[in-house]
Amino acid sequence: MKKLLLGIMLFVCSHSLLAEDLSPPKGVIAITPRPAPPLLLQNMDGEKFDLSKAGKQWAFVHFWASWCGPCRREMPTIQVLIAELAGSPLTFAIVNTAESDDTVFSFLASVAPEINSLMDYDGLVTEAWQPRGLPSTYLVDPQGTIRYVVIGGQAWHSREYQDFLRQLTRNGK
Amino acid sequence: MYQGSYRITRLLLCFIISSLPMSSLQAAKPDRRVYENEVLKLSVTPRTPQQMAAFYEGRGFPSEAIALTRTACFFTIGIHNKSRDILWLDTANWKFHTTTGPLKRISRDEWKHRWQELELPLSYQSTFRWTLLPARLDFQPDEREGGNITLPRTDKPFSLRATFATGVDKQGPRIDVLMEDLRCAEDKP
Repeated sequence: MKKLLLGIMLFVCSHSLLAEDLSPPKGVIAITPRPAPPLLLQNMDGEKFDLSKAGKQWAFVHFWASWCGPCRREMPTIQVLIAELAGSPLTFAIVNTAESDDTVFSFLASVAPEINSLMDYDGLVTEAWQPRGLPSTYLVDPQGTIRYVVIGGQAWHSREYQDFLRQLTRNGK
Repeated sequence: MYQGSYRITRLLLCFIISSLPMSSLQAAKPDRRVYENEVLKLSVTPRTPQQMAAFYEGRGFPSEAIALTRTACFFTIGIHNKSRDILWLDTANWKFHTTTGPLKRISRDEWKHRWQELELPLSYQSTFRWTLLPARLDFQPDEREGGNITLPRTDKPFSLRATFATGVDKQGPRIDVLMEDLRCAEDKP
């Protein structure tokens, strides 16, 4: 009986350790899960991206515009994040809302030249996602469900945010 | 004697200003108005027609669209939820009044109708929408958002009365803000 109880305790404890409750960093809010709207766009090179075909992994979906001050501050940190998490099972979809190639090219050239943004020329894809404002970031799980929204711009280059995303994608939940 | 009385006056003014309660309306800059208490910081900044025209011109808006923006009175609103609870914005309860009657805000739907009449391309319509203050938002703890509200142009002073609910279920203490003597900004001659 004692062995059985010990076994049960060990099972419960190890399961709890493995579950690794994620504590999102500041500004990252866990939401009531909802299906992600479609996201089918192309980048400035004409390459198509379809979120539904991005593979069974987490996705970082980010909406921005060049006229928004927090977007300007945040974009370099996203560039760092993409570089640091290269090779990890995390898809990045960086979406410009309703601007021209020239505007986006000029902007990114000065703040984040390594980023190739997807272009939502008429703003309709952004509309479907209903961001709270610009910039807005969503974390979409491998099943295509939005699990986290990010309030405002964040310091994605910092260890806290990178560790959270690594842990998220490692758990594969 | 003259310098001495000037110094005393300055000291007196400093004392008076420093003793004003925090949950008060502050003239942070001559035009910008700020309401702040322990939960909410609300800023209201009037924008001139030229300021708005320059902004939208910089975004490539066509001249007819810019001309239309000049017919409206713009205020840039900043909202910061300073609390650890939810703060609810609902611009439907924002009331503007001149001395002669209500001043009706130009809604998102009305702008959409105007842009459609002008056959403004969707990209510009989208950009314009994103520069407006959200109509409704559940401000999370420490969240800051902003955007423009628009009114018909008037040369009369007017007041704004805005109400914010608090708490997850909107049952927390209500915040009532009254700002008086607001004016549409005019281009400098």
